[in-house]
Amino acid sequence: MLDFSVILAGFADAFTPLNLMFVVFGVMLGQFVGAMPGIGPVMAMAIAIPFTFVIDPLPAIAFLVGINKGGLVGGAVPAILINTPGTPDAAATAMDGHPLAQQGKPEKATKMALYSSVTGDTFSDIVLVTISAPLALVALKMGPVEILALMVFAFSVIAGLVGKSISKGIIAAALGMLAATVGLDPEHATPRYYFGYFELFDGLSLAAVAIGMLAVAEILRRFASSKKGSAAAIPPQKDMAAADRRVSFAEYWACRFTMLRGAAIGTILGALPGVGSTAAAFMSYAATKKSSKDPESFGKGNLQGIAAAESANSAVMGANLIPLLTLGIPGSVGAALIISAFVIHGIQPGPLLFEEQGRLVYGLFGAMIMANIANLFVGQLGLRLWSFVIRAPESVIFSTAILLCIAGVYLATGGLFGVIIMLMAAALGYVMTSFGFSPVIFIIAFFLGGRFEIALSQSLVLLDGNVLALINYPIALALFAIALITMVWMIWTDRRKDA
Amino acid sequence: MKRFIAVACATLLSMAAPAMADEWAPDGPIELQIGFGAGGETDTLGRVIASTIEEQTGWSVVPQNKPGGGGIAMFTGLMNQDADGSVIGMGVSMPVLINLTLRGDQLPFDLDSFDYLGTVTRAQLAIIAQADAPFDDIASLVEYSKEQGGVPVAFDAKPQELMLMALNEQTGAGFKLVSTKSSAEMVQFVLGGQVDAAFNAGTHIQYLQKGDVKMLASANADRHSYAPDVPTLQEQGYDLYTDPYFYFAAPQGLDDHAKAGLAKALDDAIKSDNVQNVVRNAMQNSTNNLGPDGTKKMMEDGLKSVGDLFN
Repeated sequence: MLDFSVILAGFADAFTPLNLMFVVFGVMLGQFVGAMPGIGPVMAMAIAIPFTFVIDPLPAIAFLVGINKGGLVGGAVPAILINTPGTPDAAATAMDGHPLAQQGKPEKATKMALYSSVTGDTFSDIVLVTISAPLALVALKMGPVEILALMVFAFSVIAGLVGKSISKGIIAAALGMLAATVGLDPEHATPRYYFGYFELFDGLSLAAVAIGMLAVAEILRRFASSKKGSAAAIPPQKDMAAADRRVSFAEYWACRFTMLRGAAIGTILGALPGVGSTAAAFMSYAATKKSSKDPESFGKGNLQGIAAAESANSAVMGANLIPLLTLGIPGSVGAALIISAFVIHGIQPGPLLFEEQGRLVYGLFGAMIMANIANLFVGQLGLRLWSFVIRAPESVIFSTAILLCIAGVYLATGGLFGVIIMLMAAALGYVMTSFGFSPVIFIIAFFLGGRFEIALSQSLVLLDGNVLALINYPIALALFAIALITMVWMIWTDRRKDA
Repeated sequence: MKRFIAVACATLLSMAAPAMADEWAPDGPIELQIGFGAGGETDTLGRVIASTIEEQTGWSVVPQNKPGGGGIAMFTGLMNQDADGSVIGMGVSMPVLINLTLRGDQLPFDLDSFDYLGTVTRAQLAIIAQADAPFDDIASLVEYSKEQGGVPVAFDAKPQELMLMALNEQTGAGFKLVSTKSSAEMVQFVLGGQVDAAFNAGTHIQYLQKGDVKMLASANADRHSYAPDVPTLQEQGYDLYTDPYFYFAAPQGLDDHAKAGLAKALDDAIKSDNVQNVVRNAMQNSTNNLGPDGTKKMMEDGLKSVGDLFN
């Protein structure tokens, strides 16, 4: 057990004006790039890492944590205001956030996103600081078979979002799975569907497909349907009641169980490497919708929907650091970038980190707490800026957004090839939406499909292809059973509703 | 903009060292294409080397990530660039050699499509198991696997899979081959008890020091610096090894002056404390620059030995 004085010394190291400055600067940068459709905090971190060579480890890591956390808040902004989520997890936020913004309440929607994001983030940080070590040991026991069962369970919950037509939902999911099989197969590295392009060996870039399908397709739709280019993206409402511009404490408090559930889902999935924030956001959203007394109001600007998505996807970030700090295993690209920052500064994350660098780790925790507070304050100011910006004419907003998407994907994928993939995904997204197929379902299936295939192939080897061998995996069996019950229950409640 | 950068570089150069007048210098910024995505080991190494070269020479070196196919996408693009030293590439030898062996007829390049400039280091590959596992070397692991009717062993790259298949063939161990995505995932599987043994390229070292895992063999041609007592697979009687190098290359046809200038700049950067530290921190390893000729030979010998693995 760590000496208490080390913990105190670590926090004391963190709470200095210099670190505060780096955290606040990081949060501002993160919120800004997060709000740029197509760019996002991961890229900002990748670009910022070389600049941190010259500063001390703690401010350097505090800066990166600030960017990462700021990005969680910023990412919700374009999703809500102009329905162009830059990442799949923000697509869950857009489902209720954008309708609310269209009703003339963009500030209310973004503020709800800010508060629930900070709430979920703080929850997972508390879990990280207090019980990360035992949680990491539990996570270790989650092998491929258990992860496979967990993903089946996640699919069964998310299936509740398919919408009116189950067949169209299944087709969208199957197409997403198909897109996930492009590239070298995970078992024997045989190339599939690569059409002679070696760029496809690693599969279709998630950034290119997600930005194309979610953001660019929406921008194209707006271009196509705009009658005159001078209208504001969101019509300003001059005589708006104050209550429609802010989130009252009563409204926040009404979402407390939703946020708690979202934060718990995000923390659990975040502690398991590779499942990620997209599954968390949609599971939380689907669970909230299913358990609501008024599921019809979701997708039409329900604050609960925003709270569910944002609390879950933000909770993933803190929890991603659990396997990172205790085992040296990055749970996401953002966490992998934090590892490389550690390594560049001569610190090797892993089992010895707490013993050898305990003071630094608690300094990092201190920086995370500062970043959460900074997020709240910077967010308050930043959201005002964004709700001012979107009063600009639609033609300006969307042409800027499409430029940012192209630049962002060019950077993220290292060339024009990714941009072409993005445009193809945009065209597919446009066609799918026009015919009533959900691009969001496609993206979820695409995002989880790769991981699902790996877990499936690993499980088949471990089980020798024998389903009966599952008996040795009680956790997995339980998860499969819960998945089955969830599916039966959902079909049952849908039937009753129709009857 | 280009002209501005060129002028800025020229100014910097003239300020930096008049003594270097007879040495080669680029006309403008050098683009360093990294064959992997941002944030990985190769990317980290490449970016540190780029910034070190900038510091030491005053040149402008711009790192660019060109991920895809373990470097194949980057090298495919690189071979068509001007051979004037303005674009160089950084990759890892093994995936390139494997692809040349498996589908060389489909690739637009071969080993002669490039001029080689040097290597940074060699990745150290180990075979590990939980510390309290009932075996200590490959022979006893094989015995254990036979008793259990085949135990799962994890790998994350083609050469490792081929080595396991060769071991199965030579010994009848019956290993079950579990494919993973990274060293970190393999350590996780070993610690979690999902597999009985696994390859590893560095993540395991801390666990080794802490006593959670033990090392059964080095899968390189030599023993590892941090574990000098653990013999290689070859020393244990299995004629198998893999030596993946991080290396630099330029499009073929670089003139000797430029080649020597670039190779020297790289070598100076690789010798710097900065790069040495990152290599030590990131992979518990020391730098190892084979130089232009040594790199070319390493690639040619490597292609032969990979060919042998597949036969």
